[in-house]
Amino acid sequence: MKPLDLAKKLRREAAFEPAALDRGKAVLMAAIRQEVAPKRGPTIVPQVPYQDISAALSFLERAFGFREIPTARLVSADGVIDHAMVEFGDGVIGIGPHGHHGAISPKSGGIESQYISVYVDDVDAHYQRAVAAGVRIANGLRDYVWGDRTYEAHRTYEALDLEGHRWRFHQWIREVPQSE
Amino acid sequence: MSFPSDAEVIGRSLGEPEAFGLIYDRHAATVLRFLGRRAGAEVAEGLVGELFRIAFERRKTFDSNRPSALPWLYGIGSNLLLKHRRGEARRLRASARMAAGREAADGRASAAALDARVLFPRVADAIESLPDGEREALLLFAWEDLSYQSVGEALELPIGTVRSRLNRARAHLRELLGPVGKRRVRSR
Repeated sequence: MKPLDLAKKLRREAAFEPAALDRGKAVLMAAIRQEVAPKRGPTIVPQVPYQDISAALSFLERAFGFREIPTARLVSADGVIDHAMVEFGDGVIGIGPHGHHGAISPKSGGIESQYISVYVDDVDAHYQRAVAAGVRIANGLRDYVWGDRTYEAHRTYEALDLEGHRWRFHQWIREVPQSE
Repeated sequence: MSFPSDAEVIGRSLGEPEAFGLIYDRHAATVLRFLGRRAGAEVAEGLVGELFRIAFERRKTFDSNRPSALPWLYGIGSNLLLKHRRGEARRLRASARMAAGREAADGRASAAALDARVLFPRVADAIESLPDGEREALLLFAWEDLSYQSVGEALELPIGTVRSRLNRARAHLRELLGPVGKRRVRSR
């Protein structure tokens, strides 16, 4: 008998538990979930209310460079946007209707109850873009140093969007030694 | 073709990782049986998920010109099995005893049965003593019925190298087995 045929005679099947394949798949799916998980978004998502969500979305894109996450948009049966998400860098913000979940747009409330800080790479360029889009500037560009034990130099400006929400844009400049 | 090839599924899984689940559904049973033949059910059950996890993590390196992922999966499995050589050797010797027993129960002449009891343990020993590369090529070819092309894809070798490896493995086996019955069985 040829060597190869002899080797073939030692081929023997193993008997498996029926659940063996399911357990193997669970191992694979856990690895897949781990890769997918970071894409699910950040842990904290501020929800910002607007009277006109559609106008807010195009404004935020034009003026600040935020991008809508297309798969996140919720539209009601009559075609009105109920909720949307925008992203910038690794940050995400929810855009919801005024009055829902107790959230009030400054346009009708008359006050801003908070502001949102956004870190950008080039705050001067960002400022020019925002001004060109007709943003109201609450505080113009300025440099400042802040900190407790360590100090950081930032360049910032503050803008009010179309419904009066306040946004503060920062560019981190450098760490400042205490001797300065 | 309405049925997406493995290459297309793996390509899609780069953007949609969940799509890789389909590669498992298509090939896990084949791969599990392969691992089982080599290292037994218990080891195989522990390795099959690990094998596909490794494949998933390396999916960017899959050659999209290959329609089937199976030879690639065999290759990952072959590497994993290297850590289970002892178990594999044990199983091979047990298989040899069983093969000899089958021949004996065949009701043939007792001389043939005696030969079988001598012969098969020697086959097992001979397979065991092949260099890793030759043993792997031989077992993928003889037990898994892979073509030269597929053995080459599994072991990442050109087809000419597969051919020469299998020829060397055959020659080694012939040499190690010698003329049946004229050599003493090596004990282990």
